[in-house]
Amino acid sequence: MGGSERKLNLNAFLAASGHHEASWRHADTSPECGVDIHHYVKLTQIAEKGLLDSVFLADGYWAHSGSLEPFTLLSALAASTRHIGLIATVETTYNEPFHVARKFASLDHISKGRAGWNIVTGAGPAAEQFSRVQHPKHHERYESAEEFVEVVKRLWDSWEDDAVRNDKINGILIDQAKVHTIDFTGKHHAVQGPLNIARPPQGHPVLVQAGSSETGKDFAAKLAEVIFTAQLTFEEAQAFYADVKARLAKYGRTADQLKVLPGLSPILADTEAEAREMEEELFQLIDHEGATKRLSIRLGIDLSNHGLDDRVTADGALLTDQVSGMKSRHQLILDLIEREKPTLRELINRLAGARGHFTFTGTPLQLADEIERWFHGGAADGFNLMPQIYPSGLERFVYKVIPELQSRGLFRTSYEEQTLRGKLGLMRPENARISNDSNDFNYSKKEVYL
Amino acid sequence: MGEANRKVHLNVFLRATGHHAGAWRHEDAHPELELDIDYLGQLARIAERGKLDSIFLADGYAGGGSKLEPFTLLSALASVTEHIGLIATVGTVYNDPFHVARQFASLDHISGGRAGWNIVTGAGSAAHNFSRDEHPEHAERYETGEEFVEVVKQLWDSWEDDALIFDKKAGKLVDSSKVHEINFKGHTYVVKGPLNIPRPPQGYPVLVQAGSSEQGKELAAKTAEVIFTAQQTFDAGREFYSDVKGRLAKYGRSADELVILPGLAPIVADTEAEARELEEELHSFVDTKRALDGLSERFTVNLNDYALDAPVPLDKAKPAEEFNGIRSRQEVILDAARREGFTIRQLLYRSNGGHGHITFTGSVLQTADLIEKWFLNHAADGFNVLPQLFPTGLEIFVDKVIPELQNRGLFRTEYEGATLRESLGLRRPANTRHLQQSI
Repeated sequence: MGGSERKLNLNAFLAASGHHEASWRHADTSPECGVDIHHYVKLTQIAEKGLLDSVFLADGYWAHSGSLEPFTLLSALAASTRHIGLIATVETTYNEPFHVARKFASLDHISKGRAGWNIVTGAGPAAEQFSRVQHPKHHERYESAEEFVEVVKRLWDSWEDDAVRNDKINGILIDQAKVHTIDFTGKHHAVQGPLNIARPPQGHPVLVQAGSSETGKDFAAKLAEVIFTAQLTFEEAQAFYADVKARLAKYGRTADQLKVLPGLSPILADTEAEAREMEEELFQLIDHEGATKRLSIRLGIDLSNHGLDDRVTADGALLTDQVSGMKSRHQLILDLIEREKPTLRELINRLAGARGHFTFTGTPLQLADEIERWFHGGAADGFNLMPQIYPSGLERFVYKVIPELQSRGLFRTSYEEQTLRGKLGLMRPENARISNDSNDFNYSKKEVYL
Repeated sequence: MGEANRKVHLNVFLRATGHHAGAWRHEDAHPELELDIDYLGQLARIAERGKLDSIFLADGYAGGGSKLEPFTLLSALASVTEHIGLIATVGTVYNDPFHVARQFASLDHISGGRAGWNIVTGAGSAAHNFSRDEHPEHAERYETGEEFVEVVKQLWDSWEDDALIFDKKAGKLVDSSKVHEINFKGHTYVVKGPLNIPRPPQGYPVLVQAGSSEQGKELAAKTAEVIFTAQQTFDAGREFYSDVKGRLAKYGRSADELVILPGLAPIVADTEAEARELEEELHSFVDTKRALDGLSERFTVNLNDYALDAPVPLDKAKPAEEFNGIRSRQEVILDAARREGFTIRQLLYRSNGGHGHITFTGSVLQTADLIEKWFLNHAADGFNVLPQLFPTGLEIFVDKVIPELQNRGLFRTEYEGATLRESLGLRRPANTRHLQQSI
C-alpha cells in the first residue's frame, strides 16, 4: 500500500460497562449488561456506524462477574451486522485444534468472511478447570501454540476452494479429490483431518496476536497479521513498532503484512475540563483497597500498609522473568514505576483506565491529533479502542472523532471490502495444499452423499 | 399435566437440503446454501411460523460433508428468531465439560432461555482428529458421558440464581458468597469451577438424549427431559414409550418429566398420489450402488452381491452386540427388516428417506392422522420431524399439517412460554448447590 493512501485501522475492544475498572459504578452505565446480548449488538452496531474495521473481545476462564462465550457471542453479532470484522480470543492450551478450526471456519462462513482469531496461549492458569495437573510454562505454551496454529491452518486448507460442486445433474455434491487428510503428527497434536466444513471464505480468518514479550513478538512476526499491544508512551510505541516490523523480513514477510494496533483508552468530552472531570469521577469510584491487594499480588510486594499518597518503588518486586503469564504487561508496570515514580494512588488510577494501555483524556480534536501523531510517526497502523465507559465512550468516538479523522483523509468514508482481510488490506492466503494431492483419503461414500 | 390439555410437541430436525439421500438433487433444494446463514435463518423462521417447539441439529467430528458448527449456527439463529427452541448435538467423548457447560450457558443467555443439549457420547470414531489412539468402547463411553453431564450440571449450578447484585453504591457487583467452586473429582474429570458465566436462564438448558439402546434408555430415564428415538412401527413406538416412561418412577420422576419424540420423516402433498410421485422422484436421485455400499458397511454384508428384490440376507448381518457405533439404530433397522420381511429395495428406500426413522408418504390429512394416532395412543408425546426435502417439505408441514393439528385441538396456536422448558411443559430445575447449603 502506498504511503499516501495509507489509512488507519480501528478496532473496538468490547466489554460490559467499559474498560475503566470502576465504569460499572458510573451513572452512565448498566452493569446488568454483562451477559446481555442486546448490549453487545448495540455496541457493535455503533462501531459499524463508525465504519470500524472490527470488534474484539478478550477471554478467560475466571469467574469475575461472568461473560458470554466468544463464539456464541460473535455468531450472534454476525447475524446482527453486515460489515464489521469479528475477532474472538481463543487460547491454545486448553482447546483442541479441530474444534477451534471448525468454529472459526463456521463463524467465517456465517459472517461471510469477517472472522478473526486473537491467538493467546492461556492468560491465566486454568489447568484446574480442565482436568490437568498444571499450567504449562511460558516458553512451552508458545511452542505448543505454534503447533496448534499450524494444525488449524492445515485443517482450513484441507478443503480446496472449489471442492464443493453441488452438481445436481451428475450427482456430485463434493469433489472428493479436492478434500484432503492432513495427517499431522507433531509434538503436542496428532490430527488426521480433513475438517468437516469447507474452506473459510477468507481462506484463513485473520490471525491476531496480543503478547508483546520477546517470544510474543517473534511469534507475531512469524504468523500474525494484526498485533494488539499495550504501549504507555509514544516513544515506547515507536520502538515497539520498529522492532516488530523489522522482524518480519526474517520470515519473508513485508511490513504491510502485519498491522500494529496499540490499545487506546480515551475519555472524551467537548472540553478538556469536562473530560478531566469525568476522569476524576471515575477515579473516585475506584475501590483502592481491592486494587492495592491486586497490585500487591501482581508485583509480589505487600502494599497493604503503604499510604495511598506515598511513592511506590519497584524494590523487591517480581522480575519479569519470574512471572509466567502476561510478561510484557508486567514489565510495562515496572517501567512505569521507574519512569514516573508514582504514588500508590497515582499508580492505581493510572492502571484503572485500561490495565496498562495508553489512556487519553481530552477533546475529540485533541484525540484526533494524538492518533495522527502516532499514525504518521511510525508508532501505530491504527488503534485498538478501549472506551473507558460503554456505550457513551464509543458513541463519542464514532460521532465526534471518526468524522474528524475522515476529514483529514486518515480513515475510510465507506466500507468498500466485504471481508475483514479486505478492510485490513491483507491478502487472502493461497491454499498451501493445492499442489499436494498425494494423500487423498477414501471417504465412506455414504457420508459424502447423505 | 392432565390428559385433557396434553398437546403434541414438535421439533424439526434441520438440514439445508433434506433428510432424503437424494433431496439435494431435487429442483426445490439449495445445496449451494448449505453454509448460508440467511437461508438457514429463513428455515428457522418458517419453523417458528408453525409454532414448533424447537429446531435441532445432528453433529459429528469426522466425515467428508461440509456443515456449520452447531454453537455458532444456533447462536446466529437465536438472533433471527424469538420463540423457537434451539437444540445442539454435542458429543461428550471429544469435548471438555467446562467448554460445553460454558457454551450452552452462553447460548441460553443469548437466546433468552431457548437452548437444549442433545447429549451423545460421540457416534463414529473421531479419535484420529483429537490426538487419541482409539474411540472408547460403547459401555465406557456411556460411563464417561454420565460423569461429563454431572460436571456440566454442577458448573451450571456454581452460580446461585441471585449471585449478581449490581450494587453501585456499595461497590459490589457480585455476591461472591453465591459463586461456588465445585471441586469435582471423578473417574475421568477433575474440575474446580466455578463456571465463568452466570447460571443459565433455564437453570439448565433442556437435556435431550437420542440413544435407544438398553443403556441409553436407562440413562434417559435417569437424566433426559426429551428423548429422540427411531421407531419403525406404531406397535414398536408404544412399546418403547411405555418401557421408558415406566423406568422414570425408579428415579423419582413422573411421566411428564420426559417428552418422547420419535423421528418421523414425511413426504407430504395435498394428495397421496402427489406425495408418492415426489417420493419416486427423490429415490430416482440416489445412486443405488453407492447407497448399497453404505448399507453394506452397516450390515457387514455386501448387498451389491444380491438382487435388489431379493430378501435382506439377515443371517449374514453382524449382530448388534458386536457393533460399536449407534447400536440402537442398528437394532431398529435389523428389526424392521426381520419383522416386515424387507427386500433389499425396501430396505434401501426406508434408509434413503429417514436414515432409520419412520418414513411416511401421504396427504396432509393422512399425516395429521398418523400424528394423532401415535399421540393419543401413547406411542409418542410428539415428533422429531425430518422433512425429506427442504424448504418445501418444511413449508407444507408448517402451512398445512400444523393448521390441521390445531383444528383438532392437538397443537398450540401461540407460543405461551418464553423458554424452551416452558414450551415443553418442563420445570426449571432448582439449584442443587443452593439446596445443599440451606440444609
